[in-house]
Amino acid sequence: MIETKKLIKIYNPGKFEVKAVNDVSTVFAEGEFTAVVGPSGSGKTTFLNCVGGLDTPSSGDVIISDEKITKFSGAEIIKYRLNNIGFVFQAYNLIPVLSAKENIEMIMLLQGANEKSRKTRTDELLNQVGLYEMRNRRPSQLSGGQQQRVAVARALASKPKFILADEPTANLDTSSTSNLLNIMNKLNENEKITFIFSTHDQRVIDRARRVVTLEDGKIVNDIKK
Amino acid sequence: MIFKIAWRNIYRNKKRSLITITSVFAALFLIILMRALQFGFYDKLIETVVESYAGYVEIHADGFWDNQSLDNSMQVDQQLLDDIQSVEGVENIVQRLQTFSLISVGEKTKGGVINGINLSEEQKITDWNKKMVSGSFDLSDNEIIIAKGIAEFFGISENDTLILYGQGYRGMMAAGKYPIKGVIDLKNPDLNKIGLFMTMESVRNYVSSDEISTHIIIGKEKYYDEDKIVENLGLILSDDYEVMTWKETLPEIEQTITADSAGGLIMAFILYVIVVFGMFGTVLMMTEERKYEFGVLISIGMSRIRLFGIILVETIILSMAGVLLAIIVTYPICIYYNINPIDMAILMGDGAEQMMEEMGFSPVAPMSTSWDIPLSHSLVIFIFSLLISIYPAIKISKLNPVKSMKV
Ligand SMILES: Nc1ncnc2c1ncn2[C@@H]1O[C@H](COP(=O)(O)OP(=O)(O)O)[C@@H](O)[C@H]1O
Repeated sequence: MIETKKLIKIYNPGKFEVKAVNDVSTVFAEGEFTAVVGPSGSGKTTFLNCVGGLDTPSSGDVIISDEKITKFSGAEIIKYRLNNIGFVFQAYNLIPVLSAKENIEMIMLLQGANEKSRKTRTDELLNQVGLYEMRNRRPSQLSGGQQQRVAVARALASKPKFILADEPTANLDTSSTSNLLNIMNKLNENEKITFIFSTHDQRVIDRARRVVTLEDGKIVNDIKK
Repeated sequence: MIFKIAWRNIYRNKKRSLITITSVFAALFLIILMRALQFGFYDKLIETVVESYAGYVEIHADGFWDNQSLDNSMQVDQQLLDDIQSVEGVENIVQRLQTFSLISVGEKTKGGVINGINLSEEQKITDWNKKMVSGSFDLSDNEIIIAKGIAEFFGISENDTLILYGQGYRGMMAAGKYPIKGVIDLKNPDLNKIGLFMTMESVRNYVSSDEISTHIIIGKEKYYDEDKIVENLGLILSDDYEVMTWKETLPEIEQTITADSAGGLIMAFILYVIVVFGMFGTVLMMTEERKYEFGVLISIGMSRIRLFGIILVETIILSMAGVLLAIIVTYPICIYYNINPIDMAILMGDGAEQMMEEMGFSPVAPMSTSWDIPLSHSLVIFIFSLLISIYPAIKISKLNPVKSMKV
């Protein structure tokens, strides 16, 4: 379970301050498939970054399975992320010098997994996202949709409690988008992985089972389907 | 994985990596050759001077150097000689008995230094036998060889006789009349004014003691550090002895070398500055260019320390590739010019050449093949790469993954 309590993030405190996230308190239960929606600049990215510990909130807390991650030190939060949170970014963010396979495997290497388990899990993930045949390609040799599928596989590699995806489909065409959503949906249903993703794409919103709407950093609507 | 990422990053920007490696290579190439030439020259200089008189290392009775009297002489037994011979780095040893004396021929008198030597052993260390101007070096008992300056002063030569008198051992009077066996040019104006040579036995006779020596001269193995020999000797010799290197017995040579070597070091320093700036530029670009990638790595859970490890490995691979290349290329060159010495006269003015000839120093010097040169300068470059890596280390420690991933 992820809980945010009076989460506030203010950029440029002082004269030109921007309240990117303004007093957000909510709970994400295990196994949810939630879309965070809202117009551009409504604070979606900032909110997800705070939840995932990439950004530190100005005040308020993020509590994941009874742990207040907002109290962690810099090195602790990096370690926590490695073992508990999977990230998928709008711009894929793969390591350009590593192949698809190596990008996925690296996470487990950082976790200290042994070679055999790394290899098994990497192959399994590559199969799940349908890229086993392309495992040796570098990111530059893959399409956007394929890169984003590698990114999802990488996010899953550490067996995280949940995956945060910031506009994962923003750069994808229709068929890649539905392909990626199918994969995410399947992972959510079969492996009970919690997904929280931001989007302003109606096709993506339609597939979510909960839709949280942000406006000016505040939750203005929260619908469970 | 760190190595893999580092290696691929180097490979990704081949051109820049090549430029960096080349700049390290070029600088180190010049530095190594320059230093090898200089050190070869110094070795030759030291060798020439040492062969002409002193040893690389000398042992005296304690206190002899400050008060060079026969009362500060020593009695050397075979056990001591064996012990010294067994010390690491020692190649040859020879004893000498040295004493001041007045030389008199007809009405004229001047001071000189008698050297009692062991003919056959001495030739392993000095090259006096090759410096004879007239007569032969093949001394028999009670014959004497005189230096060129003495011959000129008295106007005497082979087969003439001279009279020596001075103080013997323990206050005894010493005096004797000796026929001249030959004249030697010691290739050193100062030594030429005072040098006299007789067999060890003749000098012992002259000073009325049959067992004393004043010097044990040590010839060392090539490139073996004389200071190390002093250290080794210190372990076996008692306080009754003093051990000195040529640096102490001939301080002027040490000073000349230090002054000349400083010039080379300044040159090397300039080259280092160029290389360091070049490398720093590369690392700077590498860091700026990859902020985004660093952001990704941190956000997916790579610790900042590991990330720094990647950059460090990259920097070290780049610099060490240049270093390795420079060593591989310069070593055969050093060996070649070690076997086929370079005539330094080409590099010097006419005056210098003439002066060196007079000093008995042939300007043909082999290049040094000592590993100290490439190793010490590689170490310098290695340390510089570590220092340069401080920049990315600071950047990485301050990196905000959210900001750096914004495109
Ligand atoms: N680093 C930053 N510095 C200052 N303002 C920022 C920064 N990042 C985001 N903002 C501002 O915070 C608000 C929310 O941005 P963001 O979370 O990116 O919204 P969304 O993801 O919904 O587009 C915007 O007004 C944006 O301009």
